[in-house]
Amino acid sequence: MIADIFNVAWKEFREILTFGDVRGRSKFSQIIMIVIFGVVIPLQNGRHWVTSPINILVWGWMPFLWVSGVVADLFAGERERHTLESLLATRLSDQAILFGKLLAALTYGFTLTWVIMLVSLVTINVAYGRDGLLFYPTLITLGALVFSILISGLSASIGVLVSLRAGSVRQAQQMMSVGMLLLFVPFMLIQFIPKNLLISIATIVENVQPVQVAIGVAAVLVILEIILIAIARRLFQRSKLILD
Amino acid sequence: MNAIQTNQLTRSFGELKAVDHLTLEVPRGMVFGFLGPNGSGKTTTIRLLLGLLDADQGEAQVFGFNTKTQANEVRVRCGALLEHHGLYERLSAAENLDYYGRIWHMSKEDREQRIRELLEPLDLYKRRDEPIGRWSRGMKQKLAVARTLMHRPELIFLDEPTAGLDPVASTALRDDLATLVAKEGVTIFLTTHNLAEAEKLCTQVAVINHGQLLANGSPSQLRARTSAPRLYITGQGITSQVLDDIKKNTLVKRVQQQNGRLVVDVNDLTRSHEIVKQLVNANVLIDEVHKEKIDLEDVFLQLMEEEKRGEE
Repeated sequence: MIADIFNVAWKEFREILTFGDVRGRSKFSQIIMIVIFGVVIPLQNGRHWVTSPINILVWGWMPFLWVSGVVADLFAGERERHTLESLLATRLSDQAILFGKLLAALTYGFTLTWVIMLVSLVTINVAYGRDGLLFYPTLITLGALVFSILISGLSASIGVLVSLRAGSVRQAQQMMSVGMLLLFVPFMLIQFIPKNLLISIATIVENVQPVQVAIGVAAVLVILEIILIAIARRLFQRSKLILD
Repeated sequence: MNAIQTNQLTRSFGELKAVDHLTLEVPRGMVFGFLGPNGSGKTTTIRLLLGLLDADQGEAQVFGFNTKTQANEVRVRCGALLEHHGLYERLSAAENLDYYGRIWHMSKEDREQRIRELLEPLDLYKRRDEPIGRWSRGMKQKLAVARTLMHRPELIFLDEPTAGLDPVASTALRDDLATLVAKEGVTIFLTTHNLAEAEKLCTQVAVINHGQLLANGSPSQLRARTSAPRLYITGQGITSQVLDDIKKNTLVKRVQQQNGRLVVDVNDLTRSHEIVKQLVNANVLIDEVHKEKIDLEDVFLQLMEEEKRGEE
């Protein structure tokens, strides 16, 4: 089972990193993204890019961007290119196919984020590290590592669900875009919350330790992912996929 | 034990019965042709046999494994080239085969050796590292056939492997298929509506339409069953007396005269010389004798017509 999961993930990775067409362009775009987020933006922000605790939000959000770019293709793309039925006709179990694809999307999300973190660190040190080497504070490093994995997992699970249900890659991408917009809805709703309530919430937040918040958020993410994966497992039925 | 055995296998989609009480036996080691027009239920049958769809009624076994309850055991032993070739066009030919080799847990050395073994006879080995996106359809189909054989399955399903290919590519693929089959010795379940293909490759054929089995047997059995072989004889001195005498011959099923020719339906074409001898003895001056060999296409069309008449 584990070997099968890795085999499926291996193929997905090969496809993600292949030059030539729709996904092939992603390799070129990956390099652009690494340059923008690992060189350009750090240079604009200066040493704060490495030291500011607020940047943990950037490292947490980034995997969503990467994963949503490739995850729509996982099932919808295979169905569109008529490769899914051949795959379903193999000895692979449903779980191996599902988890292999999830693993590929998840790994792609956090690996690219970690690469960008590393390139950022090099950039900042080259540009501003004359007084000694600069490093991310331990908590930021730990938070970024953990949240990049959790957010990658969350977006991969959402993406797999969307990709399983969508009729085409385009439809899956559109659904993912709508999903991304929905993530901002809570922030937009903040302005409608009565001021008194906002002040009360702010007081509570001030009294809570950031580490506790982080652990709470991480726990919520893990629970969400478990629920989404369970739904995906229920939806992943060979006969249903064949008839779709 | 048969490679495939179905018993009253039935699958409907709404009102449409795609496979209707299909009972079949496919012995091991043969090329079994499953013939039928488009939409006759061939692909659904393959999907049922691979356990990709569940039957509404009846059951099927592949190498003794129930396709519903032991589908994974079935798929472990089979390879399949389905309606679409299912190749990953962004990957190279070798990567496509390698992936399927990995799926079947083949070692790295075995995968490399097998890729060479399969691609060399198909003239694809030198191009194994090219992404296949720009390959011709014929080359992709060849590669897809190689992929089905990658893990040395005991049974392969080929769903219209030459569909959409030009005559040259179809012939080439058919030849390659015949070579590979002889070399690998696997059981093949081949669906097609190309009767020349079935005639060339299959030792046994079944004809299906509207999900129902219309005929089953070797190509020669089907030919014998559905239509009599025919002799066309042109000559002088074919009188009504000669016709009456010919009709009495036990070899002859039916005699008629068409455009000055004598048309004789016989039981056994290999004994046609006996009829010619009888005519010569009756002082008929024979100009030409033409034997019409009934091919599978005639059989197929006849079965389709019979079915249509039955429905009416």
